[in-house]
Amino acid sequence: MSKRGQNKSHTRAVLLALVAVPALFALCAGLQMRIDADTFAMYQDKDELLLRSGALLKKLSLGYEPLLADVYWTRAVQYYGVRARKPGATYEQLWPLLDITTTLDPKLMIAYRFGAVFLSERPPTGPGKADLAVELVKRGIAENPDEWRLYEDLGFLYSIHLKDYKKAAEAYLEGSKNPNAQIWMKVMAARVAETGNELETSRLIWVGVYSSTKDEMVRRTAVQHINSLDAALGLKRLNKSSEEYWRKFGRFPASIQELRDAGLVGGTLEDPAGFPYVMGPNGVPQLDPHSPIVLESDQGAGELR
Amino acid sequence: MSVIPGVVAINTFREAVRDRVLYNLIFFALMMIGAAILVGQISIGIERMVIINLGLSAISIFGIIMAIFIGVGLVYKEMEKRTLYSLLSKPIRRWEFLVGKFAGLLLTLVVNTALMTLGLGAALYFVSRKFERGDATILVAVYFILLELALVTALALFFSCFTSPMLSTLYTLGIYVAGVFAPGILSVSQFTSNWELGAITRFIYYVLPNFHNFGVIAAAAHGDAVPFTLIWHNTLYALLYVILILVASAAVFSGRNLK
Repeated sequence: MSKRGQNKSHTRAVLLALVAVPALFALCAGLQMRIDADTFAMYQDKDELLLRSGALLKKLSLGYEPLLADVYWTRAVQYYGVRARKPGATYEQLWPLLDITTTLDPKLMIAYRFGAVFLSERPPTGPGKADLAVELVKRGIAENPDEWRLYEDLGFLYSIHLKDYKKAAEAYLEGSKNPNAQIWMKVMAARVAETGNELETSRLIWVGVYSSTKDEMVRRTAVQHINSLDAALGLKRLNKSSEEYWRKFGRFPASIQELRDAGLVGGTLEDPAGFPYVMGPNGVPQLDPHSPIVLESDQGAGELR
Repeated sequence: MSVIPGVVAINTFREAVRDRVLYNLIFFALMMIGAAILVGQISIGIERMVIINLGLSAISIFGIIMAIFIGVGLVYKEMEKRTLYSLLSKPIRRWEFLVGKFAGLLLTLVVNTALMTLGLGAALYFVSRKFERGDATILVAVYFILLELALVTALALFFSCFTSPMLSTLYTLGIYVAGVFAPGILSVSQFTSNWELGAITRFIYYVLPNFHNFGVIAAAAHGDAVPFTLIWHNTLYALLYVILILVASAAVFSGRNLK
């Protein structure tokens, strides 16, 4: 073919490619959406983990176990992150993923610390496996005895999730012995030992969690708990006023306004989401039914009286 | 319609046979015979499943290795041996040469896959002494492997148009691995709160050839039916993607200075 003919042929081929390639890409993308819809049911919620043995994976990783640990940690975060927003989601693979991650890299602190938060979260935002979370953190302590933060996490798990204030205080105290530990670890040990089951103490622990991390997911979880505890504290205060009203007038108030009229409460009476508190039967204050705040099982109005 | 691509394809197939490419079948046959004998001794209740999983995985792996390692040399070898010059001095257009090369390697892969499927069928019959209705899904899985191989061949051919076999292998393998893990890329977009990252990962997901679409080996092993719509959509997807890559290859190759 002559040089001119070849140039012409090349120009034609390039022009065709410029038109056809983007059009074909668009068609393929459209088709891919259809295929995703076809395969949605086939692959939906098929939690598969081919290799469950961290020790075996360590051998198979050919010396690249830290990299593989990073991959598994990323998988664990994605696994939890995707499910935490789905109602009715299950978390069967969360523990195996964390187990593998920490076996591959026993020094990966983030996997112990955040992994414990993910594991211990109660349904629907987590599997509610505080016992496994404790096991994970204890394993972290065994591998990294100089990390006082892990003792803080252990204390947190015992006090918030397992309500074992004695063990929580012991964990805070043990961690406080580390020369690098913050001074408030001793304060926490004393406070949990004295008033572990109080809402104010729980709030303090969650504020500690919030301020000790920059991770958005953990911070979001902490804010949810802080809001929930603030709402419970607001209800507790209102409940006291309601009981005072009963002592004064011999009956329970029918509304929050009656408490206000009696001069027993003042100011803005709203939960952290901005919804006003309402008065329930027998003068037990409650959250507005439309409020997005969810009280934990032991923070409900019934628990207050 | 031009018969030239057909002629080039037949010659590419003959060349592959002459190069003893199909010798891998011996290895496959030995592996399946060994597995069929051993599996009964070492596993209980999952003999059929092991044979199907092993057989289909081997068909896929052997096919991909062949598609990549032969595909990356399709154009380069002709240039190295200078046979391309005598070919293109005849009334053959460059795109016809490319399409012929693609079809020739695909034919080789189809023959290779068909023979391996027969081997798999024989091993399956040896293990369970019967075929079941659900075994039809194995044929669907083999068909999907062929679609996958067509895509890999087209990719290898595309890279062989402008770079060395070594780099072509790396690029093709890289895209293949990324394509297998495509759903992982999409899950980043669902998980992240960063809008830009979400948009980029979604874009990559739809632009990459999605090899995950063709993974029905597990369904075949369990005898689960594959929906007809998926077969149809996957066929169309592979066809469109192959055309796309061949058009791009033709554009690149037409401008290639062969002096």
